[in-house]
Amino acid sequence: MERSWWWKAALYVAAIVLAVLYLLPTVAPNEQLPSFFHKYFSKRIQLGLDLKGGLHLVYEVNIEKAVSSKVDRLANEVDDALRKKGAEVTVARSGRDDIAVTFKVPGEMAKLDDELLKPYRRDLDIVSRDPATGTVKLKYDSDRVAEVEELALRQAIETIRGRVDKFGVSEPTIIKKGTDIIVELPGAKAEEFEHIKSIIGRTAQLEFKIVDDGSDYMKKVAASVPKDSPITVAPESWTEKHSGAQHEDVYLRVKEKDRDVLNKFIADLAGDLAVPNDREISLELMSPREVSEGTPDRYYRTYLLKKRAGVTGEYLAMADESWDEMGTPEVAFTMNRQGAGMMEKLTGENVGRKMAVILDEKITSAPVIESKIGERGRITMGRGGDPFKLQQEVKDLVGVLRSGALPAPLKKSFETQVGATMGQDAIDKAKFSMYIGAAAVILFMLIYYRISGFIANLAMTLNMLFMMAILAAFEASLTLPGIAGLVLTIGMAVDSNIIIYERIREELRLGKSPRTAVDAGFQRAFWTVFDAHVTNFVAGIVLYSYGSGPIRGFAVTLLIGIVTNLLTSVWISHWMFAVLVNRRGTVRTTLSI
Amino acid sequence: MADQQKFFEVIKSGTDIDFIGTQKYWIGASITLVLVTFLMLPINAYVLKDRGHVLNWGVDFKGGTELVVEFNKTVDAAQVRDAMSAAGLHNADVVKYGSVAAAQSFMIRLGAVSIMTAEQAKKVEASLARVGDASLRKLDSSEGGDKIYLRFDKNLEANVIKDALKAAGTEATQVQSFGPPEDHTYEVTLIGMEGEVRKALDAKLGTGTVKAIPQVSSVGAKAGKQLQVDGVRALLGAILLIVIYVAFRFDFRYGPGTIVALLHDAVITVGAFAVTYKEFSLTTLAAILTIIGFSMNDTIVVFDRIRENAAKYRDRKFDKVVNHAINETLSRTILTSATVFFVTLAMNIFGTGVIRDFAFAMNVGVIVGTYSSIFIASPILIWLNEKYLAMQKRQAARPERNVRKPVRRDEEEPVET
Repeated sequence: MERSWWWKAALYVAAIVLAVLYLLPTVAPNEQLPSFFHKYFSKRIQLGLDLKGGLHLVYEVNIEKAVSSKVDRLANEVDDALRKKGAEVTVARSGRDDIAVTFKVPGEMAKLDDELLKPYRRDLDIVSRDPATGTVKLKYDSDRVAEVEELALRQAIETIRGRVDKFGVSEPTIIKKGTDIIVELPGAKAEEFEHIKSIIGRTAQLEFKIVDDGSDYMKKVAASVPKDSPITVAPESWTEKHSGAQHEDVYLRVKEKDRDVLNKFIADLAGDLAVPNDREISLELMSPREVSEGTPDRYYRTYLLKKRAGVTGEYLAMADESWDEMGTPEVAFTMNRQGAGMMEKLTGENVGRKMAVILDEKITSAPVIESKIGERGRITMGRGGDPFKLQQEVKDLVGVLRSGALPAPLKKSFETQVGATMGQDAIDKAKFSMYIGAAAVILFMLIYYRISGFIANLAMTLNMLFMMAILAAFEASLTLPGIAGLVLTIGMAVDSNIIIYERIREELRLGKSPRTAVDAGFQRAFWTVFDAHVTNFVAGIVLYSYGSGPIRGFAVTLLIGIVTNLLTSVWISHWMFAVLVNRRGTVRTTLSI
Repeated sequence: MADQQKFFEVIKSGTDIDFIGTQKYWIGASITLVLVTFLMLPINAYVLKDRGHVLNWGVDFKGGTELVVEFNKTVDAAQVRDAMSAAGLHNADVVKYGSVAAAQSFMIRLGAVSIMTAEQAKKVEASLARVGDASLRKLDSSEGGDKIYLRFDKNLEANVIKDALKAAGTEATQVQSFGPPEDHTYEVTLIGMEGEVRKALDAKLGTGTVKAIPQVSSVGAKAGKQLQVDGVRALLGAILLIVIYVAFRFDFRYGPGTIVALLHDAVITVGAFAVTYKEFSLTTLAAILTIIGFSMNDTIVVFDRIRENAAKYRDRKFDKVVNHAINETLSRTILTSATVFFVTLAMNIFGTGVIRDFAFAMNVGVIVGTYSSIFIASPILIWLNEKYLAMQKRQAARPERNVRKPVRRDEEEPVET
């Protein structure tokens, strides 16, 4: 036996031992294994979405809307700045990037000067000034558009990642592809699909608006409520804690079921009673425990709000679960420095008034500002009802707030959901077809090539072992197409062996001794086998880079299989043949092939 | 020297079938199959009413929703189809899903990704034109979106919009104001297709008939188009790369034969899907790429032997050399193709869904791929070789010897090129 044979033997044994070690955590996850073992070999083959069940979602980020709302904000700021300077203007938005500022007195147009636009130097370009109509047209800078788009996409991914992380799914994947975001949640439970989807897609806009109490307008509105209407007018009053000043207000209320009547009433307000431009009327659903008087039913009440949000959830630093004095779950939040500054200003100017906390356009509470609020605040979620449900709502909201609001709405463009039972069924069938295929191949090789067939089968088994070990080392997920890739690899392994064996037979027919025939067979067949593998490898790489989920899984197993097959079918089986034809001392005259 | 050994053989050594001599019949058969494919595509699209598309595109290409529905009682496909069209979900494909025993499982394929089709959008736009005293300025609905955006000239209460939508036959799970309030824009989240399908089935077949909807996939039309484009690109890219490799390993005369053979295999496999009208999905595409790899593999084994023999028997006519090489490798060709065929046949018979489609494509592709290396790639090689020799003669600058110079396997570059 040549010395190199022993070297190879050592190498192959080492490879096999390593492969077995890598596979152990997958095969026997619950066995007691020494701790140093877990340190080095903890990776496992994951089951893919189609086998384990789970959710596969592709979202398209509506970046147009992100840009558009950014320009909206700028328009509001310019509007504010001009009003501060005493100019009477109307600011109109059109398209995605355009702002038109029209001055009531065209002569005042100069007020929109470079000084005022200084903070927006990089954002806004002046397109035209029309002295006749007093209109200045502004456009959002095109370079900034690209920046906002990029930012919106990145922020959306971060946001989704933050939200997904709390589902406790073991291997979530969130990747960007163009303007799409792909989310994969293997192992997610079918009952939770709807919940998960609703949380990922939630916009989560948090706003704080000041309630305009004691306004004459509301009194006028209250006076106009018809007598026979289900709407009732209720007064309320409270005393400022420190100064002792009195606040009096009226609001409208209806029973929960009559909400539409109230909505219609508000929508129909016109003429003298029309809602002022900078105000809005919003509703809050009140629960009985909060009311000292009146019916035990839940009811809606109105608030007259200042339309512009004082502070938004953009400036949120942290959100947490918390409980109020009565043990009702609520959300406590902390603002960041900038937000805290804005909150201080807003609340400082409005001590004694109420501030509405608005989440996704719904008022969740409207507490009285007792003193200047800095960085901390809380959101109550309403009282009564199922405490477990409330707790869950709080948890969801905390998660959503922590991950921040989505910068742009998401549109789902692709969705696959697989229930766990479906996965199990697929596994069983795939396993069965694989066993049948493998058994047929093994049997065929034994019958057709006898002892050499045994070598081929051994090589194929090793091929499988190496493939699985590499899959485990990469922590790859095994999908249905992945199993198809495994089966195909068996086919390729068979092919390599057949090419080599047929070649050896030809050499034997020429009358060569088994030893020379084996060497010549392997040597001559090598390039054929190699070329065949390379072409398949090329196809595999194209498949991988084309890469949408399932096909990628197929490509990965195919690529790994090609490499391991070259190793097992060519080198290891050649080495095994060396044992067969080249035993020390004896020279065999026939070969079982 | 050892005695001549006896082997267990399927193809006896020394077999000499005249493949090349009869090539015109085989090429004729291939051209017929390719023509059938190209004819079948428009026939599917325009002549056969119950088909309607060139191929039975799966949801991943066409866009749409695919659901697997399990029933509590035995129902038949026609009932399910009726329930779908009663709910306005037209052109639903309903097929039995899974093994024959599980007769209560169906796969339903719908063209729409969301309940908001273009037709439905128009209806909604018309009936929401006035809500209260607000009028609708704009309805934004993207094909296949699960959300729509409504812009009014006044603010409205979410519930009012929800009810108005319901009256227009569209159910929304959530309506919320979107963007600055002065925009009066509302984001409407529609109920999912599974909800709609469940509702439709409950209405027609009785509440509680649906046991579960264990699998739902939906692909937007845009994503589907993208996948189609990517798919064709991947196919051509793979063929190109493989041919470059062949041209590098062999020489230029071997290139065109492989390209034609690969395209031939891809086209005929597509043809099999056109004729049977089986679902053509991403998996089918993966199978076709695999078939290309496999067919290439086959062609290389034959070509390899041709090159080896061309070097060995320089005095023989090239077409005889080719025929001999094909015969010599025939045993291997048959054995390999047969094993792969039977392994994939097992997958076809016992597998489910994705695996089954994949296996069917492989079954067709293995046959076609084996056939094309012998009957397509080799004749083209012979033909090109003749052209090449003729050109060499015409030039008469170089002796013919150059052409026949052996190309050794282990040489890096073919000498002729």
